[in-house]
Amino acid sequence: MELSNPQQLHHVLATVWFLIIGLFMVFYVVLDGFDLGVGVLSLFAGERRRSVMMASLGSIWDANETWLVVIGGTLFGAFPLAYGTVLHGLYIPIILMLLGFMLRGVSFEFHELSQRKAFWGAMFGVGSLLAAVAQGFALGGLLAGVKVSAGVFSGSIWDFVSPFSLIVVLGVVAGYSMLGSTYLIIKTQDEMQTGCYRRGRLLAWIMLGVGAVVTLWTPLQYPAIFARWLTTPNVYFFAVLPALAGLSFVMLLRALKRRAEVAPFVWTMLIFLFSFAGLAATWYPYIVPGSVTIDQAASDSSTLVFMLIGIGMLIPVMITYNVYQYIVFRGKVDAHAEHAY
Amino acid sequence: MDWLQHPELLARAQFGFIAMFHILWPPLTIGLALILFGLEAAWVRTGQVVYYHQTRFWTKLFLINFGVGVISGIPMEFSFGTNWGPFSTSAGDFMGNILGFETAMAFMLEAGFLGIMLFGWNRVGPKMHLFSTGMVAFGSTLSAFWIMVANSWMQTPAGVKLVNGRFAITDWLAAVFNPDLPYGFGHMFTAAIELSLVVMAGVSAYYLLNRRHVEFFRPAFKWAVVALFIVAPLQIFIGDSAGSALADTQPAKLAAIEAHWHTNKPGEGAPWALLAVPNQAEQKNDWALEIPDGLSLIVTKTLTGQVVGLTHFKPADQPPVWIPFYAFRVMVAAGVFVAFMAIWTLWMLWRRRDRMSAARIGSNKWLLRGWLLAIPAVYAAVEAGWMTREVGRQPWIVYGMMRTSEGVSHLPAGTVLWSLSMYALFYAVIGIAALVFASRTIRKGPSFDAPPHPPTLRGSRATAPYPTAHAAQSPALAGSAKLAVEGGQ
Repeated sequence: MELSNPQQLHHVLATVWFLIIGLFMVFYVVLDGFDLGVGVLSLFAGERRRSVMMASLGSIWDANETWLVVIGGTLFGAFPLAYGTVLHGLYIPIILMLLGFMLRGVSFEFHELSQRKAFWGAMFGVGSLLAAVAQGFALGGLLAGVKVSAGVFSGSIWDFVSPFSLIVVLGVVAGYSMLGSTYLIIKTQDEMQTGCYRRGRLLAWIMLGVGAVVTLWTPLQYPAIFARWLTTPNVYFFAVLPALAGLSFVMLLRALKRRAEVAPFVWTMLIFLFSFAGLAATWYPYIVPGSVTIDQAASDSSTLVFMLIGIGMLIPVMITYNVYQYIVFRGKVDAHAEHAY
Repeated sequence: MDWLQHPELLARAQFGFIAMFHILWPPLTIGLALILFGLEAAWVRTGQVVYYHQTRFWTKLFLINFGVGVISGIPMEFSFGTNWGPFSTSAGDFMGNILGFETAMAFMLEAGFLGIMLFGWNRVGPKMHLFSTGMVAFGSTLSAFWIMVANSWMQTPAGVKLVNGRFAITDWLAAVFNPDLPYGFGHMFTAAIELSLVVMAGVSAYYLLNRRHVEFFRPAFKWAVVALFIVAPLQIFIGDSAGSALADTQPAKLAAIEAHWHTNKPGEGAPWALLAVPNQAEQKNDWALEIPDGLSLIVTKTLTGQVVGLTHFKPADQPPVWIPFYAFRVMVAAGVFVAFMAIWTLWMLWRRRDRMSAARIGSNKWLLRGWLLAIPAVYAAVEAGWMTREVGRQPWIVYGMMRTSEGVSHLPAGTVLWSLSMYALFYAVIGIAALVFASRTIRKGPSFDAPPHPPTLRGSRATAPYPTAHAAQSPALAGSAKLAVEGGQ
């Protein structure tokens, strides 16, 4: 690789940032995924269980959601063109997601302080579901294509709605609920835990179904992807990721069956990881599928380097104090403990 | 209601609205986090349980405030992409980078230690807990720094040149440390401290006025007032310096703030309008209450110094005058009021000790009511200050380089009206609920539970997941019980 060539250097830097933001995406989707998933599940729980569910998130929801803020900041800095066009194109789902975050975010504290626990408990569930559905629409809309011409969004504000995006919504909500269930398996005991094992099987099958639809739909919709996937030797590389995701799925079902505590969460996380890696590998070097490449969207090389120094170095540090926080709050949730003071 | 069909005005209204709602919360987060760190450090150092109880009480208000601050901040970041796409694309090299720094360096730090600070009392030792509080305080201050870097750059863009409609960075240091940064960050950070101290003094004054928990809140009141005696005048000095600097960096904004239409002739001073009825169409004030040579004196510190008037700029390049003019005066009035209160109260504490004693402090009705009034005053000052700053920058999104109209995403007006209405609805519910819960928490008052562990226990760590903190009868607990009895209603 000839790094003295400015264009080559720019491409390498853009690829590095594509990978870093992809990594942040995985962190976000897994961490806030279980967080939102617990919220969705709380819609089907009574007040007593809901309090336990909310207590299991009290100390960490803010850090989990912060990964999205980090994605927003880094995407804005590293790929301004993608930031300025995709968020415009996905205006409605993004606003709905933000409104959902608002409801659920304030509910943690308000539920604790209020006498109307049922109301703020419901707001927590509704907000979580709204955010998850909106993220599903955003992902579906992005994969179905966000039209960009001459550096601005040129499609319709309603492009995100399609049968395909509805299926993706189902997948995201089921996937987050799956993560939420497996997280609750770790954090709870007795009948609450049993319920999570039972629900896990159904959610796992929905996830598998949606994964299959996205995998089949993408090459049919985009002939270029079809060609890219199914030529040798690419086909071997591209076959690895679905195979690993499938294997994780089988392991997940087994772990649920033998009532393992940590394994179901780990396998669900791996399904997400492999699915994301599959999407990234499929679309690279496009950052807006089918219309904008990372080289077109990326900032100047000097910005990418400056950000790499300022943010890249911090990645291990950020991971360290996030992990530390989980260690401090390890163990089962005590239903009787008051979470705050 | 023409603006309801105007996408650009709607986008500006939306950003203005979510920004004005958001800025109600972070100043208290920033300032109170530092105060909490100080109180907790005092507890860890001295072992006096009063500092522990003070820490826990103010943490309750911190917690309510923090959540709303976080969730109202996220829409701000995303609205650059959703509503200001062309601006984001064009200025992303700098703005996005700086917001990226803010999120990764500061926001994550704050979030990473917040859980431990709020819920980790029984789970980590006192030193680790103090460290976590310190990291939250440091993270929120650092966050304010980066946000002010981004905003200051929009006021005084430096270190960039426009290449094919994109801001290319030619000098990173010049862009980050742009001319407005020392004033912008200095003024905002000091505002956060001042606002938090006023909240501390005002809430304490509420209890003193009602003669509840006097032994508990009299010290808190005194600490806040003594600190404000330094901070409030300092803030006036920083604000005055920031205003004078505008003469060089953003003369049109300065002229709008002062409704100053015509540049004064050499040898003559520019008058300062205390109040005015500006008439932008005719480029003059219909009426004004003026102090001769006042503006020259304020800005240049001489009686005849030249101050550029608004007519020096084409009408298309002038900011609106009404909002900066009156918002600025509200901010100044509030700032002077707080400084006056701090000086008055400190004088009372120094020269009228008997009247300020625990037994009699509650009878200083007007003094204490003045502090209650100071709370809405400082919040109004923050809002008014931001209105002055941002409306005064118009019609530019990046001063002198990119117009606001060039930066806006072309969304259907109905869509933006929808999102603006949804924000308004949600923020109304959330804002009112937060106020209700905060006032309920204040009415309930502090609790005097014993600390989970003595502060001197080096690196002590609770092993059980939820140890019962109140079982042991320690001398500290006996002390706190006494305090509770004295402080009880």
